[in-house]
Amino acid sequence: MASGTIFSIEEFAINDGPGIRTTVFLKGCPLRCAWCHNPEGLLPAPQVFHGIYGDRITGRIVEAGDLAAELLRNRDFFAMNGGGVTFTGGEPTMQPRFLCEVLDRLEGVHKAVETSGWCAPGVYADVLERVDLVLQDIKLASPEAHRRWTGQDNSPILRNLETLKRSGKPFVIRIPLIPGVNDSLSEMESVAALLRGALALRRVELLRYHKTAGAKYPRVDLHYDPGFDREASPAVHTEVFSDFETIIL
Amino acid sequence: MLTARIEKLKDFFFDKGHHGVRRTPESLGLDTLCKKYAAEGIPAQLRAALLFEAMTSAEKPVIFDGEQIVATRTITRVPSYFTEEEWAALKAHHYLHENGMLSNISPNFSDAIAEGLEQRKKRFTERMLTADEEGKLFLESAVRSIGALQDLIGKYEVCAWEKGDVVLAETLGRIRFDGASNFREALQLLRFIHFGLWESGCYHNTLGRFDQYMWPYYKADIDSGRLTKEEAYELLLSFFLACNKDSDLYPGMQQGDNGQSLVLGGRDASGKMLFNELSSLCLDASYDLNLIDPKINLRVDRNTPLEVYKQGARLTKRGLGFPQYDNDDVVVPGLERLGYAPEDANDYVVAACWEFIIPGKAMDIVNIGALSFAGLVSRSVDELGSFENFEDYYAHIDGMIKDECRRIAAGYKNLYIAPAPLYSVMMDGTLERARDITLGAKYNNFGIHGTGIATAVDSLAAIRKYVFEEKSLSVKELQAALDANFEGYDALWKKLRFEAPKMGNDDDGTDELAARLLASFDEGLSGLRNERGGIFRAGTGTAMYYIFHAVHLKATPDGRKAGEVIPANYSPSMYTRHKGPVSVIKSFSKGDLGRSINGGPLTIELDDTLFRNEENLEKLAMLIRSYVQLGGHQLQLNTLNKETLLDAKAHPEKHRNLIVRVWGWSGYFVELDECYQNHIIDRIKFTM
Repeated sequence: MASGTIFSIEEFAINDGPGIRTTVFLKGCPLRCAWCHNPEGLLPAPQVFHGIYGDRITGRIVEAGDLAAELLRNRDFFAMNGGGVTFTGGEPTMQPRFLCEVLDRLEGVHKAVETSGWCAPGVYADVLERVDLVLQDIKLASPEAHRRWTGQDNSPILRNLETLKRSGKPFVIRIPLIPGVNDSLSEMESVAALLRGALALRRVELLRYHKTAGAKYPRVDLHYDPGFDREASPAVHTEVFSDFETIIL
Repeated sequence: MLTARIEKLKDFFFDKGHHGVRRTPESLGLDTLCKKYAAEGIPAQLRAALLFEAMTSAEKPVIFDGEQIVATRTITRVPSYFTEEEWAALKAHHYLHENGMLSNISPNFSDAIAEGLEQRKKRFTERMLTADEEGKLFLESAVRSIGALQDLIGKYEVCAWEKGDVVLAETLGRIRFDGASNFREALQLLRFIHFGLWESGCYHNTLGRFDQYMWPYYKADIDSGRLTKEEAYELLLSFFLACNKDSDLYPGMQQGDNGQSLVLGGRDASGKMLFNELSSLCLDASYDLNLIDPKINLRVDRNTPLEVYKQGARLTKRGLGFPQYDNDDVVVPGLERLGYAPEDANDYVVAACWEFIIPGKAMDIVNIGALSFAGLVSRSVDELGSFENFEDYYAHIDGMIKDECRRIAAGYKNLYIAPAPLYSVMMDGTLERARDITLGAKYNNFGIHGTGIATAVDSLAAIRKYVFEEKSLSVKELQAALDANFEGYDALWKKLRFEAPKMGNDDDGTDELAARLLASFDEGLSGLRNERGGIFRAGTGTAMYYIFHAVHLKATPDGRKAGEVIPANYSPSMYTRHKGPVSVIKSFSKGDLGRSINGGPLTIELDDTLFRNEENLEKLAMLIRSYVQLGGHQLQLNTLNKETLLDAKAHPEKHRNLIVRVWGWSGYFVELDECYQNHIIDRIKFTM
């Protein structure tokens, strides 16, 4: 049985899909987004977290079966409330065997995954076929800016996005609005252009940058220096997504 | 939305514009009346009426610009009709509940508003012909009290004519004598009766099933076109606003603790849902007014549509700390099990905080005492060494709880409540019995709170796991650590506080301990009778005991240190992060809560930033509905923002309007004593 590393399970996660949901945070991420507000999700392994009551370890290694059993305790509760389970991170596709095995065990539960889409095409397809809903992040359309702000090329993401659009699987696009990084009209138009012809796109969610994003960095011995004006408020261009339902979270 | 009229009035009252008309009882010579009564040897029953006459006659009718529903207190305090020496003598021979005056029951407003004061006065007068001497005295005081209330209304009528407000004057002219014939009259008559209850020295005066007894008047006006929905709404706002005018003068533990609870929705004996258009309007009015009174309760059950929960959730989001949700599926059978007749059980309302009570029919004292689960478990640790296994140890706890129940029950003997003739007039059966309501009614039960249940459960769970199962902790070490308040036992403290099993994590083994404690409590009280023939009801509320009981409580085996508070009501421990609200709701709905029918809500604190959009509001509604569907008895949600609270503590002048739920009531944060402010801030340390 596969095991994986998770760093949090959050009940009543109200912004991660329909109904009452539990969100599982898988540890480890291939991207290094300058605005990341979950720095304890970046490294794949458990690590020290300086908490208010002293040091503790963030990240625990769990067997897929044990995690699934824990989540299944609330199967009826989810069903009563149109909800389910959402996997996020970090980047959940970083642990493909573990993720797929947990998904396979969640019979009768509505399943969603939130992903950056930065993974191999085969992994993406494996996950896609196991979930009921994809929360697909898009941070930047421009490859160069993507490299600068996330440390990675976005070509794998764009390729997987095409797979998602073709699949007919219901999905949501989530875009973090970062002041001076991706909130210009031209950048948003480029993102919107990527979504053309996306028939199963349920809606576009714009996530405002949190000024408190840097709060947890010292807890994991990191320094928060995002390289943009973190006091600024991002511009919001909902008009470019007028073909779709749009919501600001 | 508030109308311009209401907005203006709200500002006026909030700026204490009406405080200028207030006078002290001393300045009116009302404070010395008790001495005169004593010197003349006037019986208490009659004194109550005499003082009420003196008070209402000293009242100055005031109608502020724009007021549609009138009656404002102009006397700052209701003096006593007993002298201090008489109170001391009463205390020496009797058990007095709180300050000795009638409190915390619920009148039958429905019949009173329909019948009218004149007809009721007539019936009470006629009854004098056949009553015994004691009865005659009661009936005379009842009749005089009604007359005094009528005279007060008459004074307001004259004032309204002088002001040129014909509609108001005519309304007052009718309700002085007759039962209400329309919505406005019904509200105005209710206002005067309620005003009269406060003015007669009774307190924690509840409002009952307002949307039910007001419904016929509202519906007839709307159906006939006499009122538009907008006009009716403005009248409703006027009434709600009026409940806030004098509330700083009402007695309570803290300002805001005034018991003006109002119940919406619910069902009738046939199971029909009674939530109506007026119920909806009440939720809107409370939302729009954004004031601490009246305190809304919403009766729901497993069949209540999600839309109703959504309306409640919208008000929850406002951050007033209400509505409180009461589950008919648990409460009604629970009351029946305690001996309440089915038609009465279906008609239950909520007393000042959360205690279920029957309007018009109950002289229950729902908050007479409290059993401290946390205190009993704490004491039991001294004898922990004498048990071989956990089951033997629990049997000992069970015995302690039952001993404590008997001890508590035996403590309330020779009860005396000062006569309350006006309140009696609004209660069923007082006419037939020709006796004051304070002497008893159809139901005469006493309610006992159960405090610190999560602290007790978490302590037992830790003892079971580490002392009896793993045997990793010796009794001696535990006792020494608790005696030392965990000084020098840091590792053990952390383990107990953060790693030990906790109630609220949907862990069946731990949650089962709570069910056992509640069962022991209920069994301990069952079969016991009070001197009035009533029973004792077990509950999960704490009232102010979460502060009182914690003060003398030493460190507990759940890792709580001495001096740290215990959670309010039926809520998880405050010192550890739980899995989340879903697990909390599942944990706290597992026991048979029909056995804790004195009430006391599960309280969950939520960060207000979570509920920014409609979709999230619907999720909150689902969460509330889930607790009801899983069999919880009562739920109360707070939406709080820690930064706001801390800022309010530092800069109270900037947060005069900030409203928070304290234990069974909401109040202005900046008006609270610091210990209550701190408890609220601590409660949200671990919000999501």
